[in-house]
Amino acid sequence: MADSVVMGSGSLNSGSRSGSSKTSTSPTENYQLARRRTLQVVVSSLLTECGFESAEKAAMETLTEMMQSYITEVGRCAKATCEHTARSTPTLSDVVITLVEMGFNVDTLPVYAKRSQRMVITAPPITNAPLIPKALIAGQKRTHPTYIPSHFPEFPDPHTYIKTPTFREPVSDYQVVREKAASQRRDVERALTRFMAKTGETQSLFKDDISAFPLIAAKPSAIPYLSALLPSELELQTLEETDSSEQDDQTDTENSSSNVSQDDQSADKENVVLPPGGVVPTGKANEENMIDNPYLRPVKKPKVRRKK
Amino acid sequence: VPHSGSSMNRKKDKGFEICINNINFQRKSVIGYVELTIFPTVMNLNRIKLNSKQCRIYRVRVNDLEAPFIYNDPTLEVCHHESKQRNLNYFSSAYTAAVSAVDPDAGNGELSIKVPSELWKQGDEMKVMKVYIEFSLDQPKGGLHFVVPDVEGSMAERAAHVFSFGNQNSTRFWFPCVDSYSELCTWKLEFTVDASMVAVSCGDLVETVYTHDMRKKTFHYMLPIPTAAPNISLAVGPFEILVDPYMHEVTHFCLPQLLPLLKHTMSYLHEIFEFYEEILTCRYPYSCFKTVFVDEAYVQVSSYASMSIFSTNLLHSGMIIDQTPVTRHCLAQALAQQFFGCFISRMSWADEWVLKGISGYIYGLYLKKTFGVNEYRHWIKEELDTIVDYELKIGGVLLHPTFSGGKEKDNPTPHLHFSIRHPHTLSWEYYKMFQCKAHLVMRLIENRISMEFMLQVFNKLLSLASTASSQKYQSHMWSQMLVSTSGFLKSISNVSGKDIGPLIKQWVDQSGVVKFFGSFAFNRKRNVLELEIRQDYTSSGTQKYVGPIKVTVQELDGSFNHTLQIEENSLKHDIPCHSKSRRNKKKKIPLMNGEEVDMDLSAMDADSPLLWIRIDPDMSILRKVEFEQADFMWQYQLRFERDVVAQEEAISALEIFPTPASRLALTDILEQDQCFYKVRMQACFCLAKIANSMMSTWTGPPAMKSLFTRMFCCKSCPNIVKTNNFINFQSYFLQKTMPVAMALLRDVQNLCPKEVLNFMLDLIKYNDNRKNKFSDNYYRAELIDALTNSLTPAISINNEVRTVDNLNTDVRLILEEITRFLNMEKLLPSYRNTITVSCLRAIRMLQKNGHIPSDPSLFKSYAQYGHFVDVRIAALEAVIDYTRVDRSSSELQWLLELVHNDPVHYIRHEILSMLAKNPPFTKAADSLLCNEALVDQLWKLMNSGRMHTFNFSPRKFLWCLYGLNPSIYQSYLGQKPKQSPSLIGVAMAPLGLKRKAETPLSSSPEPGQVMQEEPSAKASVKSKVSNLL
Repeated sequence: MADSVVMGSGSLNSGSRSGSSKTSTSPTENYQLARRRTLQVVVSSLLTECGFESAEKAAMETLTEMMQSYITEVGRCAKATCEHTARSTPTLSDVVITLVEMGFNVDTLPVYAKRSQRMVITAPPITNAPLIPKALIAGQKRTHPTYIPSHFPEFPDPHTYIKTPTFREPVSDYQVVREKAASQRRDVERALTRFMAKTGETQSLFKDDISAFPLIAAKPSAIPYLSALLPSELELQTLEETDSSEQDDQTDTENSSSNVSQDDQSADKENVVLPPGGVVPTGKANEENMIDNPYLRPVKKPKVRRKK
Repeated sequence: VPHSGSSMNRKKDKGFEICINNINFQRKSVIGYVELTIFPTVMNLNRIKLNSKQCRIYRVRVNDLEAPFIYNDPTLEVCHHESKQRNLNYFSSAYTAAVSAVDPDAGNGELSIKVPSELWKQGDEMKVMKVYIEFSLDQPKGGLHFVVPDVEGSMAERAAHVFSFGNQNSTRFWFPCVDSYSELCTWKLEFTVDASMVAVSCGDLVETVYTHDMRKKTFHYMLPIPTAAPNISLAVGPFEILVDPYMHEVTHFCLPQLLPLLKHTMSYLHEIFEFYEEILTCRYPYSCFKTVFVDEAYVQVSSYASMSIFSTNLLHSGMIIDQTPVTRHCLAQALAQQFFGCFISRMSWADEWVLKGISGYIYGLYLKKTFGVNEYRHWIKEELDTIVDYELKIGGVLLHPTFSGGKEKDNPTPHLHFSIRHPHTLSWEYYKMFQCKAHLVMRLIENRISMEFMLQVFNKLLSLASTASSQKYQSHMWSQMLVSTSGFLKSISNVSGKDIGPLIKQWVDQSGVVKFFGSFAFNRKRNVLELEIRQDYTSSGTQKYVGPIKVTVQELDGSFNHTLQIEENSLKHDIPCHSKSRRNKKKKIPLMNGEEVDMDLSAMDADSPLLWIRIDPDMSILRKVEFEQADFMWQYQLRFERDVVAQEEAISALEIFPTPASRLALTDILEQDQCFYKVRMQACFCLAKIANSMMSTWTGPPAMKSLFTRMFCCKSCPNIVKTNNFINFQSYFLQKTMPVAMALLRDVQNLCPKEVLNFMLDLIKYNDNRKNKFSDNYYRAELIDALTNSLTPAISINNEVRTVDNLNTDVRLILEEITRFLNMEKLLPSYRNTITVSCLRAIRMLQKNGHIPSDPSLFKSYAQYGHFVDVRIAALEAVIDYTRVDRSSSELQWLLELVHNDPVHYIRHEILSMLAKNPPFTKAADSLLCNEALVDQLWKLMNSGRMHTFNFSPRKFLWCLYGLNPSIYQSYLGQKPKQSPSLIGVAMAPLGLKRKAETPLSSSPEPGQVMQEEPSAKASVKSKVSNLL
């Protein structure tokens, strides 16, 4: 509920900060600069009233900032108070309550306002309120359908929801497809390897131009056989794909589980269909735990030697 | 109880207990003890000799009494460092002497233990003795290999592991033992390791027990089957455990994170088991089997009693095509060696060929069953070609050496720069050839006595051995578990009733292969084929063959086999022909396999009914045949002979007949999808060669292009390759090979035709693997190889510096691709980094051809420890090539530095053998690299015990550089600029030698080391000078 005010103050602050840099010229910033300037005038006049002849810039800034915070806080609290009573526009009593809440003696205010040495400040120059740039109009703005009462919010701008289908005939010529796939892959590979070569150490074949044909430097690994023997992830992926497609192709009538088995599942299947001529009496898959192999037996605890 | 194998031994092992109670990965050290129970076979056993290398021995006790001991390892310094003799013959004899001095089969050993006198009397009564030895091992250079990755975390998190390895009998490197294949005993093994680790060893795991602080556990193993020490192994690491789903007594181990790969790789093992058990009609001899996959393995496969250690790089996922057969071959080899090699051991080194032969032979049977007859015959031909090439180039390989006197003069193989007396003195390459020849000879025996008898013999050996192995308390029976040449031959004659003596004499007791030259003429009048078969038996590595030979003649009326007798002086053989020459009658022509085919006979000679002739088609002689027949005959043979070996022979013969007819024959073979894929692959390369020879008359698009387009490109847009689908392996291999062969095409300017290059670039560009079930890494790698093949030397104007600006536009495109591939590999590494390997080769080729500046730094960074081993090898190969081309001594130094210090044994060995293959300079050429410092360095390398398991490699390298000639490198003592090498040779050499001769020979010979008198200095000076001139 208080968001708008806070945001307002936030934007004010940011406006003031960015105002210090000279380049800013946007209308919003101009507007905020003007307010800030007015505040500064107010602060300096108040200081003059108090008898100061000059002030350091830093002190000025601090006081201005305090003033602005104070006013902002009054505004925010007033709005909060008013919304608490289910209204939308703050009244005088809201402001009064706020000031009381903030520990300000309201009774002193009329006296202060009517003080004699009060300086009159000219009204701040009228600056144009910032213009919200118009959004690009795309398509027709939709009106409410009949069943929606008119006080409901309007549809957002059409560009937020309309879609324009762009559609081209898919390329079906085999040659072009292959050509495309090939060059795409090659481009990806080249870009990738170039990138890797640029970001890491390289070796070069030419002494005059080290950047020509960069080779990613050869790095010895501690266990070289792992990467050389294990299939790469890409290959595993292909394997899965081809396997699954094969399974689709094969009907269940096929009974030969001979060649295609790599994964545990099919290995288990193979256990089930042991050949009749096997050396070992055929075991069932669920008997696997009962295989009597000395390497699977548990390690024995040492015999306890009794000290005498 | 003396028995034939170890009659020289004065003791006999019964039981062996090894306990390793501390393995420190941080310090790479091992502490433990061994206890062996021995049974003296002679009176007054006062000394016990055991083998032990690099172990520190703390104490020895015999029957609880402290026993004094002496430790002396003569191989640590083979030639005394003050010795002035520096030549390979001298080294070889000294090294052989050193190895003999500690040979367990002769009752020798590095560790000599004095039996306490209190026990002497007991010895008289032939009582059992228990020898207890405490030892430790610190940073072992051989025997055990520690892999400790340098990352954060505990040793288990770092995947640190250790495993035993070695060349032949090298168990002495990690614990004191009788390191002989013929000394069997039962084993009890205990290993205490960190609780997060697993210790895998031979035999049955009896139990695993925590130590009292619960931080470690002890693995107790028992091996009741008598086993020789070299067949004992150990692997410790944080292994993941997989129990074989088909055979629960088989357990697989791999390093952390690799379990999915292990599951896939091992899903096949049970079939190999079944196969061997079926053909041998014998169960797997051990009660369990373990496979362990380790990193930095020196060899891909090594077999030990009831376990095998493999390189972790054999593991693969289901998406990998190329590795699958390779890995299955390795598994099959390992398993074959379990039966013959581990369970059945050998009596002596001279009997090794039987074990290698049988295991290789049954492995071949497995290949035939699994991969088909074509693959098998192709493999046999390949193996035959390898052994023949080796023997003709280097010298004969002797399977069954006999050493009568023990003098070096009786050396049966004087042509070699090493002694074949001991497995340790051999060259690795020689040993590989030895194994190859052994299984080929087994196949010859099979041809002679039939496979059925052959398998019966194996079964007999196995059942005798398994009966013997169960005789726990009658250890004299155990000799049945050792195979000897004579026992094997006796078994053969008992089972088959056939005398294979001549065959054994020809191929086993004698080295060398047969070299035939054949040609023929057709005598129209007599209707006789006059065949002439000559032999070359004077060159090195050859032998004379006398006996039957099969010749197959394909005539118009059919295929006929003839068996000719090769005799001393008969060169010519008349073979009567069955068919008259006639061509007008349209009739199908019957082939060997009963098939009848239509042939276009217009190409053949109107007067002759001969289509083609094959000499020894079944490869039943270890031979090389150079046969001359007309080009059209080779073409008929290629098209219509159904044997893959014949097709391959025809293809290699057609290389010298660049005619349109050859082109057509090759193209037809390429297109025929019923043809064996390896033949089609070979045809690709032949076609490329022919196309280059026919350059000026070639019509139509470049060879293979339209073929490739038809087979692998889209119908609608022929320049775009189909998305990858490798489900048909034959066409996958063809698709991979064709671009590589096409890139070898050259146009009139000797450049790769623009059309071909663009075609290959398009293949790379449009390569799309998204829908493929298999990985395309090998395919992409071969496309890069194709780009490499297309490179030709740059045209250089007055040796300008290579810059980016003057880069040839085509080369720029190639370089662009290579850069992208190499960079992508960093983000998405391919299996075994095949693409990086190909890219490195491509970059070296670009450098070598002068397109980009020659610079080894890129390769040196890829050669560092920490890259995948294949990548390191490829990078090192490039550095070695650079060293040769640019004659860079700093790079040579850098390489030798690696040989000294690299943590991976395989790399150290491989650097030297690659240097030997591509030496930085040769005997003939004068090079600044050739100086005394280098010789010194290499000499030290081989003279010290540093190289341990592969002591041979530096010798081989030195041999490649200088040959056997002893003193050539001594002429480089004075490092003067050489204006005329021959002149300096004369001037410098005597000087250098004199200086050497003057220094007093103060060293006394080492015990057990035979110092041989060398020919006097003068003689060697002469020989050197003449050699230099």
